[in-house]
Amino acid sequence: MSESKLLNRNYTVDLPIFEGPLDLLLFLIKKDELNIYDIPISKITQDYLAYLEIIKELRLSTAGDFVLMAATLMKIKARMLLPVPEAEGEEAEDPRSELVNMLLEYKRFKEAADHFADREHTQNRMYYRVPSTSEGEFEVGAEDLLADVKLYDIMLTFQYLLQNYEEPLSHEVAMEAVSTSEQGAYLKILLNQSEEVWFTEIMKDLGSRLVIIVTFLAILELIRSREIIMEQNDLFSDLRIRRGERFG
Amino acid sequence: MDKSELIQITEALLIATPEPLTEARFAQCFDSTPDMSLNEIIESLSAFYKETDRAFQIFKVANGYQLVTRKEFEPFVKRLYTRSARLRLSQAALETLAIITYRQPISRVEIEAIRGVSSDSPLRTLLERRLIEIRGRDEGPGRALLYRTTTEFLQYFGLNSLQDLPKLREAQELIQDEDESLV
Repeated sequence: MSESKLLNRNYTVDLPIFEGPLDLLLFLIKKDELNIYDIPISKITQDYLAYLEIIKELRLSTAGDFVLMAATLMKIKARMLLPVPEAEGEEAEDPRSELVNMLLEYKRFKEAADHFADREHTQNRMYYRVPSTSEGEFEVGAEDLLADVKLYDIMLTFQYLLQNYEEPLSHEVAMEAVSTSEQGAYLKILLNQSEEVWFTEIMKDLGSRLVIIVTFLAILELIRSREIIMEQNDLFSDLRIRRGERFG
Repeated sequence: MDKSELIQITEALLIATPEPLTEARFAQCFDSTPDMSLNEIIESLSAFYKETDRAFQIFKVANGYQLVTRKEFEPFVKRLYTRSARLRLSQAALETLAIITYRQPISRVEIEAIRGVSSDSPLRTLLERRLIEIRGRDEGPGRALLYRTTTEFLQYFGLNSLQDLPKLREAQELIQDEDESLV
């Protein structure tokens, strides 16, 4: 939609992709070979606002950040127009200095990012030997594989498993009353019966998305209180639950 | 255990190691301290690979050693991998990663203050690709999550340690010789 609107106009815009308002400002400064330490704020604000129109039209998700910078630019412009009161002893601060510092700081990291891109390019041409753990000639201890699960892994896996979970078709509509403490107790019963339970196994019997989520919360709670341990082979693989040091 | 046997064993370790083979990991594989240091063995293995024109070489990365295929075989080897497996990082992700690298541990808000733009999505990408991890919370108000780079990060960019990176200011001037770290 935004594309066709642009085409209706009598000019075409060759718009590079800007990562954010600072990126755009650096571009404008470079384009007109402006001195970053002495930015003609009036001109740059004008240029910036012209680009902002296009960015708004393109409905970029980051448009809000661009609008915020436009407001900052106009504020600086206004302050530059005001007469500077003669401060005694100290020099009045240039209204642009904060912006200049931000631009310079961002520029340093942008350059570092370019360096990273170069390294990535070089590095991507070499391939590491990746040993296959599942088909190796010797047994890899399960404990080795499952070590080092982080909360973020668990959340990702949960999201993944939930996406792939198909809600069984049912005609009955009934209010489900579930609580994390109930589901926690249920989990502990399962763990009393066997050494380990797998998350997908539990999920299968739960019936609805709501109950699954409540059960997941119960699991997180039990991990926190160290009543259970959760382990994982690989990102998105099933989660293994075992008794923890404070199980009981 | 004579020297040639020791070299052979190390070669086996290099083939099997899931992550860069460090001096510590190497030592773990022996009952008593081997007669040669890992560095010495790597040197002689590397020389041997060069002599016999192997398609792979030993790469020094993340404070250890790993076997990698030689660059000239990339056009063929890359077809083994699916498109997504070696997707390059976006500009947003690279900028975010650069900020984290030089300022770690750092919170999302601090990253966004430098970039001047919301950085949720690049952070998520970097977490999913395990180039960064959550490491604790800020002491200040809000107790924001703090991010830092991982060992996978070093490996991904072929770095031996964070010290290998050029100082921030001279990042642009310094285009490191890409073959420097090859043994």
